[in-house]
Amino acid sequence: MKRWRAAYLAAVAALVLSGCGGTGGGSGKSGDGKGELLVWVDNTRTPAAQQYKKAHPDQKIRVVTIPPEAGYVPTKVSLANRTKSGWPDVVFLTNPAEAATLASDKFGYAAPLDDLVPKSVRDGFAPGSLDTCTFGGKTYCLRNDIAPTVLWYDASLMKKYGYQVPKTWAEYQQTGLKAAKDHPGTIVGAINGKYGAGTYFGSSGCPTRDTLSLTKVHIDLTQASCTRVAGLLQPMAEEKAVTTVVPTDPAFAKLGADDKILMLPGPAWFGDFMFGPAFKIPKGRIAAAPMPTWPGETKSYAGQVGGGAFLVSAHAGDRTEAAADLVRWMTTDVNLQAKQPTYPAFTAAAEKWGEAKSEDPYYASDPMPALSEAANALRPGFGAVRFEADWQTSFNDTVGKAADSGGNLEKALASWQEKLDAAAKTGEYTVE
Amino acid sequence: MRTLTPTRPPAAEPVPRAQPRRPRHRGRGAAVWFLAGPYAAFLAVFGLAPAGYALWTSFVHDGSFAGGRNWTAVLDDYRLGEAAQNVTTYLLIWLPVLLLTVLSLAFTLHARPGRATGALQLVYYLPGAVTGSAAALLWLFMVSPDSSPFGPLLRLLDVENATDALSGGSLIAVLAVMGVAVHAGGWIVVLYGALNALPKDVLEAAQVDGASAWRTMWHIKLPMVRTYVAFVLISSFASGSQVFVEPTVLSTGAPGQISPTWSVNQLAYVYATQDGDFGKAAALSLAMLAVGLLAAWIVIARTRMYATDPTEAR
Repeated sequence: MKRWRAAYLAAVAALVLSGCGGTGGGSGKSGDGKGELLVWVDNTRTPAAQQYKKAHPDQKIRVVTIPPEAGYVPTKVSLANRTKSGWPDVVFLTNPAEAATLASDKFGYAAPLDDLVPKSVRDGFAPGSLDTCTFGGKTYCLRNDIAPTVLWYDASLMKKYGYQVPKTWAEYQQTGLKAAKDHPGTIVGAINGKYGAGTYFGSSGCPTRDTLSLTKVHIDLTQASCTRVAGLLQPMAEEKAVTTVVPTDPAFAKLGADDKILMLPGPAWFGDFMFGPAFKIPKGRIAAAPMPTWPGETKSYAGQVGGGAFLVSAHAGDRTEAAADLVRWMTTDVNLQAKQPTYPAFTAAAEKWGEAKSEDPYYASDPMPALSEAANALRPGFGAVRFEADWQTSFNDTVGKAADSGGNLEKALASWQEKLDAAAKTGEYTVE
Repeated sequence: MRTLTPTRPPAAEPVPRAQPRRPRHRGRGAAVWFLAGPYAAFLAVFGLAPAGYALWTSFVHDGSFAGGRNWTAVLDDYRLGEAAQNVTTYLLIWLPVLLLTVLSLAFTLHARPGRATGALQLVYYLPGAVTGSAAALLWLFMVSPDSSPFGPLLRLLDVENATDALSGGSLIAVLAVMGVAVHAGGWIVVLYGALNALPKDVLEAAQVDGASAWRTMWHIKLPMVRTYVAFVLISSFASGSQVFVEPTVLSTGAPGQISPTWSVNQLAYVYATQDGDFGKAAALSLAMLAVGLLAAWIVIARTRMYATDPTEAR
């Protein structure tokens, strides 16, 4: 009886969750219908897909809104693989790491786009942004939006405390330690899950998930690009200048309300979606600077935390061209992308998108120079992996835990490496 | 204090065994089939057939027979050990707390029957009715000291924020609390029903003897409903070892905080949905089915819940 109830609860949960996505989850029946293009997009991308549908009355298109939960698309595709029907022709990924799952031999779902989307178009994307989609030299997806990290800071607090915006990580550390000492409770960064690992280790180029192909990944946390991050964060964690609280935690919002967020290196979307709506920081205070530079480098490199991507199904058959056309339009149409909520991956669209952002009265100063610099300086070696979830939780279990308990971060890297190795092997990678 | 009533109620008058020469009514077989048929059909379609298919699937890899490959791969998976450890710890916390909650609330309801009893049963049932993303948000706020009504208690337990609450050992405690809130209501109703079915004469005799409410509960009611208590315990063990909903729901409220393979059942789900490996999923699910079957066997064989002869049912 209990098990039935658990199953019932799960079913209800699934229904409620899919209901949140909009027009009720992916009702399996696929683009088996002759010529009907089946398009799965999340709530945010639905109007754009509808717009494409309207503009192409000759092409039968069915747009289905899917929930944005991590794992949803692989789940549905896995079931479609089992029944050998019901694949969507086009799918939007809110978690682009899932491209690694969907392109794998086992799933065999993602179609290579190299012949479907001209190189000239692909070259128009932010440099390195399609690395997420590229395995063994083939491109399996197009990025819709990217999430390069910048150094967000509270310009009013910086002025009030008399600090300069740091240009190097050493200056960042100094400022952070000073702020934590002089203004107790103040933080200058968050080290939790993808926010910590993607921002700091991603920007440093530490190979935690450097995909060499669909079955090979390079993980080596003994490299200087990793140990220098541990060295940077060690004293800051001890003095609580960086927090292990996840930015989506209500307790983090309280830091914002209490004027305790001095700086926060984080993805581009933090600007519009976290500082105002979540942290309740009033307008005219937040500004963006390029990420600080690492020793021996003059270029500021960005890490990545998020973004989205479009895939075309390998089962689309005679609808493949149409599917590729829709994906190309959704990701590269300048007017469409300029109105999207997050930073467009297509460079020309990003420029247009930035025109509005530059005028946004929320920011203390124009954030676009820092954002576009970051978009053009994505640190290579941050690939899409099938063990994304473990990548996050293993970071928290090792580096995060050490930071919390005053442990040694560099030593914690060794245990993170162990966990990443195990996770990668379970994901059917060979680790190099 | 001495009571005149024996602590164990006397067995009901032995009912004479049914006559072997019971006249066979025509249509009796049809009635049996009519009553048992739907269940048998459901069992076959939604229980036996999938289990059989799973058994077949667990020995197949890439479309061909693979022997024990899937089974050994599951046992070798480092995530299984972690998940099993999580679930074991969860059971160690959840089962006693659940049982204690169910017992104390059911006995309290029975000891002080009143107009509120019905309403209270509904109230106990309510937490289980909140599901999905609503439950995820609700619980996320419950474990955030800044917004939770239990903030001071959480701080006392050194939980400063939701990130703390949802990591390491405290995550298990949070899940156990969730599990108790969701499951207790149903069992309270069951146990309350069992208490209501107790023979009134025995309870009255205890009252006449001057037994306090506490003694009545401890020496009369509890022994008489102990098969139900065993049933609650064993069924809960079976469902608790298959814990899936609570960590899954909670992780939708805190993405990236809780491992998607936190529990054994979640691992089986991940095999099928994220790894695309139905063979391993089937193998692990069957292993979990074995745990459930063992619990079911204990219920049937040891608690005599299903005994039809009243002399047996003690």
